[in-house]
Amino acid sequence: MAMRRLQWKNRLLLPLFLFVLTTVYIAAALQIQPQFSEGLVGPGFMPLVTAFIMYAALARVIWNDLAEEREKPEGSLLPPFLIVLATILYIIAFKPLGYSAATFLFVLALFHLFQFQEGQMIKRLLYAVAVTAIFYGLFALAFGIRLPTLIGVI
Amino acid sequence: MDFLLEILKGFGALARPDVLIAMVAGFAVGTFFGAVPGLTSVLAIALLLPITYSMDVIPALVMCASIFMSGMYAGSITATTINIPGAPSSMMTSIEGYPLMKKGQGANALGHAALGSMVGGSLGALMLMLLLPIAAKLSLLIQTPGKFSLVLFALVVIIIMQRDTIAKGLVTTLLGIMIATVGIDVMQPIARFSFGTETLVEGIDMMPIIIGTFAISEVLYQAQLHRGDIQAAALRAGAALIRRRDFLPPLSELREIGFYTYIKSGLLGYGIGVLPGVGGSMAAFVAYADAKRRSRHPEQYGHGSREGIAAAEAANNAMCGGAFVPMLMFGIPGDPTTAIVLGVLVINGLQPGARLLETQTDLIAPMFASLFISALVLVPLTLFLLGPYFVRIVSIPKGLLYACIAVVALVGSYAATFSIFQMALAVVFGVLAFFLRQQHYPTVPLLLGFILGPDLEQYLRRSLSLSDGNPIVFLTSPDSLFFLVLTALFFYFMAIKPLKEAKT
Repeated sequence: MAMRRLQWKNRLLLPLFLFVLTTVYIAAALQIQPQFSEGLVGPGFMPLVTAFIMYAALARVIWNDLAEEREKPEGSLLPPFLIVLATILYIIAFKPLGYSAATFLFVLALFHLFQFQEGQMIKRLLYAVAVTAIFYGLFALAFGIRLPTLIGVI
Repeated sequence: MDFLLEILKGFGALARPDVLIAMVAGFAVGTFFGAVPGLTSVLAIALLLPITYSMDVIPALVMCASIFMSGMYAGSITATTINIPGAPSSMMTSIEGYPLMKKGQGANALGHAALGSMVGGSLGALMLMLLLPIAAKLSLLIQTPGKFSLVLFALVVIIIMQRDTIAKGLVTTLLGIMIATVGIDVMQPIARFSFGTETLVEGIDMMPIIIGTFAISEVLYQAQLHRGDIQAAALRAGAALIRRRDFLPPLSELREIGFYTYIKSGLLGYGIGVLPGVGGSMAAFVAYADAKRRSRHPEQYGHGSREGIAAAEAANNAMCGGAFVPMLMFGIPGDPTTAIVLGVLVINGLQPGARLLETQTDLIAPMFASLFISALVLVPLTLFLLGPYFVRIVSIPKGLLYACIAVVALVGSYAATFSIFQMALAVVFGVLAFFLRQQHYPTVPLLLGFILGPDLEQYLRRSLSLSDGNPIVFLTSPDSLFFLVLTALFFYFMAIKPLKEAKT
């Protein structure tokens, strides 16, 4: 019973988040000041209609979800969370560290999270270098895109 | 006549080295992404979208077309060999192909799938080239209220096609429309939903949405499901059974399937492709069901029917040609792949509509030619050359594969605009799409809502401005009334009637 209640709560999180998002959206829509009058259907009309239909749809989703017996989603949320964390760090480091260093570290982190070549560090390092080099070749050499470099070198 | 001449010139353009390389490379990428379970041609085009910023428009469009065709066909490879459809549209092929594989006739099944794809894909591309001028003339007859009703029809079809998750499909479509309203208003020079930031005044670009929704979310989703490369043994066993000499289907089997099956399935696939948001899965399912209904050997279905494979594959590849029609004439994508192709068109300053055929046929004709040549030549050629190695090619370790996808997605987001903000935005949409997928929300409607939302709003407001705010204009305008009636009919037959039948 307690487990089922927990699953209920998990299922409600996303519709609840969308509900809050829609409410913020409505508040912003109500503040839109048109430059000239178009009658009823001005710049705020479509957003308001969309938001109100969204409320109805979310209510229906919650109703359906509560009535439905569904299996718990497979797998843990920890690996995706760690990948998001690694990605955020990659984005932060992309310009200061340059493409090569940042991408190498990011790829290495992903290999670790996907357990690729587990226990074979040398192979893992070589694969990370290869992936970094291949996509440098694709973006910088084949398509001429200027990628950030570390102190103007690599 | 001029149009046909331009089409012929389009075939000529394929001989240009850069265009030819784009077509062959696109086909190879599409085959790989279509064949690997979990990857799709949509993801392939999404990853290549940022690269198209640095390409000429012709090779970019040619590459997209060949990815589309090859991705649709390649789903049949793992569907047949290991019973895991590489793409959702190959579900029917796996039902018939895998039993043949178990009987030691996997190469024969792959041969039938390739032949079906070849005939259906070529037919769809031909129909596109022949009927597009007619569609262009028809599109000129549709006035602003009619355009509103047409976009509304497209959105309603996209939502009701989500079958078991209509409410969730509606939520994601609305979310897409809401995201599209961020930025400058469609009619007045005022910023909406910018929350005081200059960056949001420019609005949200399509690229981070595509990269986030289809690439980043896929990496996150696979990370959650990751259970190692468990298919390796099955893949190796499958590879041993595939021999090149068995690919060519015997004439007796082709006679049994019948030319009519290929043509009818192709036409069904093309027609379904024209409907917005329906896609290859529905095309394959409808053609398969139709072939089974009129088959002389319905008892073979489910146990390795070659006719079933031919029908499903002919239909899903013919769908590719059909899906381009609403996208090119009305800016309404037939499926997620054409939605991204629409992005490529817009990035290069091409606007969908009848004028596209009048003034810029030279740019889009090579794309049609690529669709045709990919189906007619590259599908059988790829099977013959790479067939025995397909299974080994798709057994690439997941860790390596998804690390590469993540790098291409993120660096691609940066490369397109040289903006760290775009990279971050792609991650935000990726996380959102991941949670949506995890809770069984379809994510394709989010992209289609994002694309169609501004058109819906613009046509609504223009129509009402022209009629002094009188909404009756949508009922008095014949084209608008036609699409509203069509919407009501679709809604009844696709949403209400099945619900009633389920209750009884």
